[in-house]
Amino acid sequence: MTNTEATGDDAVGARVRGMVDRAIQRGVKGFQYATSGPAKVGLTPKTTLYGRGTLQLYHYKAQADELYRVPLLLVMATTNKAFVFDLLPGQRMVEFLLKRGFDVFVVDWNPPAPEERGLTLEDYTQDFIPTCIRKVQQETGQNDVSVIGYCMGGVLSLIYAATHTDGPLKNLVCLTTPIDWKQMGLTTMWNDPRYFDVDQVVDTLGVVPADFIRQMFEMQKPAQRLAGQLRASEQMWNDEFVRSYRAFQRWGDETLPLAGEYMRQTTKELSWDNKLFTGELVVGGREAKLANIRVPILSVVAEHDHLAPRDATKPLLDLVGSNDKQEILLKGGHVSLIAGPNAVGRMWPRLERWLAVRST
Amino acid sequence: MANESPPDPAAMFREFVTTWERNINSVANQVMGTESFSRLMQEAQRMQLALQQATSEAMGRRLAAMNMPTREDVIRLAEKLSEVDRRLARIEVSLDTDTAAITPDEVPRVGRPRTRQPPAEYLQGEKPR
Repeated sequence: MTNTEATGDDAVGARVRGMVDRAIQRGVKGFQYATSGPAKVGLTPKTTLYGRGTLQLYHYKAQADELYRVPLLLVMATTNKAFVFDLLPGQRMVEFLLKRGFDVFVVDWNPPAPEERGLTLEDYTQDFIPTCIRKVQQETGQNDVSVIGYCMGGVLSLIYAATHTDGPLKNLVCLTTPIDWKQMGLTTMWNDPRYFDVDQVVDTLGVVPADFIRQMFEMQKPAQRLAGQLRASEQMWNDEFVRSYRAFQRWGDETLPLAGEYMRQTTKELSWDNKLFTGELVVGGREAKLANIRVPILSVVAEHDHLAPRDATKPLLDLVGSNDKQEILLKGGHVSLIAGPNAVGRMWPRLERWLAVRST
Repeated sequence: MANESPPDPAAMFREFVTTWERNINSVANQVMGTESFSRLMQEAQRMQLALQQATSEAMGRRLAAMNMPTREDVIRLAEKLSEVDRRLARIEVSLDTDTAAITPDEVPRVGRPRTRQPPAEYLQGEKPR
């Protein structure tokens, strides 16, 4: 036998041993996976500062000895839980910001109760967000507050900013926030007013169930769930992969229902009439023109975002009235922009840097 | 040839899954991105909701005949309570606003100092604020 043949045989042997070892681990860990409870998420220490119906306001425990003067308020999208900002050790956006010296507050949403079916954009932007900002001011003793909105949370934050021009907003960050709703890809197509009877949906259901919302998301990438399960079964030996998979899976599964009137208004005024983009939106009797916004603004968007595509997010900086404005376009998708290993390396450091120089 | 590493079935499997996912999503998006699909999907939804509405109305009539409140009645009652809750919250906010006529900055706070400054390298290329 030559040396080359011996080396080849060793490599094959090692590969076979590795495969057998992983097959055993898949069996053992697969059993643990099947018998364990839901993924543990949202573990960064925090207190609930305020709660009312669907609204929850958290204050995270500071982790730096010296803080930036201006506190941060993160506003979550109304369709999902805010623990996406607090998923896994080493992948927690709130923890990252806390360690870098920010005082972090988060607006989260409970599933709206049946009696909250009548909530509208006015409730979210003229009541919930201003109330939370007031609570942050009281808690911190600071007038100025910076707001970070994710997806629909970004839309709500923009409407708040456009209708409270003399308010305490110091900086505004919009993460994957759609502006031109005619460019929302499949969502625009499925919301076609000729076929989508939003009045029937809302009048029949009151609060639109989470399954309805989740289906709309999942149908846009129909193979994603099964592909994820196949990857997880193959990677079952890999604890880190499985932990991450389970956390994201739980987040996706815990999609929230939507208050019916809010969905009706969003569909008609934002999607059909595109009023956020055209500047015709009026909320609570106030004009919500993006041009009204004068505070420093950062828009962070993802190149491969299928829910808020590039064409839908692009117009923001052209429409706001701010002089200090910046867009950061990053690789990644709608969720990987804010959570997971890509976010850790790509987005968070740039967000921190932008905020740090504007938070003193 | 003998120096080539043996094929890794797991890597091949992962590659297969990725390709399969991409292809299925691409084909599905083409189909679902058509007007006829939107029409069919919304038609199916309309029928399902109409059935749900009819069932709900029939159930409401039976409950009314038995002098029992329907789900709608209970929700309306809860909505009224919720409105009271909202009014209380508004009163609370306006009280807060009145008492905080002295600006929050003037209220002494116990806690960590808010004196942090960004690292010097962060200021490079930034306009003075």
